[in-house]
Amino acid sequence: MSLVASSEHILAASHAGSPRPSHSGFDRIFRAAAFGCAALVLLVLAGILAAMLYGGWPAFREFGFFGFVTGSVWNVGADQYGAWPAIAGTLSSAFIALVIGVPISLGIAVFLTQLSPPWLKAPIATAVELLAAVPSIIYGMWGLFVFAPLVANYIQVPLNSVVEGLPIVGTILYSRVPSGTGIFTAGIILALMIIPFIASVTRDMLDQIPPVLRESAYGIGCTTWEVVRHVLVPQAGVSIIGAIMLGLGRALGETMAVTFVIGNANRLGGSIFDPGSTIASRIANEFNEAADLQLNALIALGCILFLVTFAVLIAARLLIARVQRS
Amino acid sequence: MNAVSSMVHLDRGGRPGTNEGAPARISVRNLDFYYGDFHSLKNITIDFKDRHVTALIGPSGCGKSTLLRCFNRIYSLYPDQRATGEILLDGRNILAPNVDVNELRSRVGMVFQKPTPFPMSIYDNVAFGVRLYEKLPKAEVDARVESALRRAALWDEVKDKLRQPGLGLSGGQQQRLCIARTVAQGPEVILFDEPTSALDPISTGKIEELIEHLRTEFTIVIVTHNMQQAARISQYTGFMYLGELVEFGATNNLFMNPVKKQTHDYVTGRFG
Repeated sequence: MSLVASSEHILAASHAGSPRPSHSGFDRIFRAAAFGCAALVLLVLAGILAAMLYGGWPAFREFGFFGFVTGSVWNVGADQYGAWPAIAGTLSSAFIALVIGVPISLGIAVFLTQLSPPWLKAPIATAVELLAAVPSIIYGMWGLFVFAPLVANYIQVPLNSVVEGLPIVGTILYSRVPSGTGIFTAGIILALMIIPFIASVTRDMLDQIPPVLRESAYGIGCTTWEVVRHVLVPQAGVSIIGAIMLGLGRALGETMAVTFVIGNANRLGGSIFDPGSTIASRIANEFNEAADLQLNALIALGCILFLVTFAVLIAARLLIARVQRS
Repeated sequence: MNAVSSMVHLDRGGRPGTNEGAPARISVRNLDFYYGDFHSLKNITIDFKDRHVTALIGPSGCGKSTLLRCFNRIYSLYPDQRATGEILLDGRNILAPNVDVNELRSRVGMVFQKPTPFPMSIYDNVAFGVRLYEKLPKAEVDARVESALRRAALWDEVKDKLRQPGLGLSGGQQQRLCIARTVAQGPEVILFDEPTSALDPISTGKIEELIEHLRTEFTIVIVTHNMQQAARISQYTGFMYLGELVEFGATNNLFMNPVKKQTHDYVTGRFG
């Protein structure tokens, strides 16, 4: 049997014909083209960074870098620009999005990979992917017209009657105007938008864990919670952090949906229900009519968003490095 | 125990698997197993004796791993797999629906084809399983960890680096760590599913030596496709083919004087 097979191979090989003609000229062009594609990314990135720094420079010079970052007044009439309320709004709405979105995403991923009956997997996975496909303007409209009134009626009004007058929570959880728009609502909408990213990457990571590791965890008598908590999540740990950072990156830069629901206030409130703004929503709101120093200040804001995203990435790397060492 | 030994004699008529006269720890009665519609174990009846090593041999796909995976019901992680019949562990049917599978798995440990250390330190790999079922003071956990690592012949190699990750060990050490993890829980039965198939000959030798020692404390079932290994370390051997238990008996007899022609052909290397 094997003798026959091998003699056929030899026959086939001897019929292969003359050596193929050289294509070295084409190959050289192909290599150069591939390198060009890769170099383009670097060029575009450097170009954007340079343009942002150049455009924002007058604002940084006028207020000083730290003065601009920590300044809490944004007054177009007085030509006075400080970035802090927008930075704080960006960070706090993204933080709320993570606090809400990460546990839900992990829950989805664990259900899909460990618990779901086979017939339910495809519908849920598809639904999660569709959630990612919803355009952000839809989230914005839905958030403003449908979700914000719900937040006002069923969260803000009842919560006000509970926390009013209390120390600390009476400030953080009190809404002066229970309109439903504000940092908290923006955080929830952002959570919905980042869940598909975190959930699907986490699901892929959990799927890649060899079944035999999972079986051996069940094999010493672990419950599903113990398997997930002590074996699967630590095993996928570094990549789950990566998935969360992916979501955070999207939450920080998301513009359209946030602009709809955050209330677009230029001042920083003390409550998570106060209207505010993020860097991206501020730029989107004012770019149309901005000129001179206001335009420079908006570009400078963009620079800062760059920096914040960059800082998040570095923090993520450090965190990942620490997880890998231990 | 009497109930168990009387069960042993239920199935007579020279069927393979009944092993008269000795106390059985696990008694399998008329076990059938299905992967979806595929009927992969057919009417298996076999006894596994206390404190002996029983090897299951046979060509790939014969059902030997499937049989092993019934004893701790690990198959029930997969919704399309099911078993019918009876598997009595100390006289209790572990296939019954009211059995607490987590508790069962703490009594029936399993070591897999590949080493599967958990993503935690060497110490925690062993202590983890202990802490699942017993709330012990730290000193006692320490003692259990040391004792388990000693019984797995790993203590001397890791005693100075207990806090380092288990994944940093060599393949053979990882497999002994997994054995220590199983031993530490104090099971009654240890199942080995081709435990040396991913290891080099020296590591394999150490694991085989270890199984020889563990026999004094535990009932051991090992699946292997290495016939020499089965001959070296087991006292009883079952030969399986196409989902059926063809022949079962003392290892020497099965290899030297097999009754069935299929067994003879397999152990003399004519197929498989």
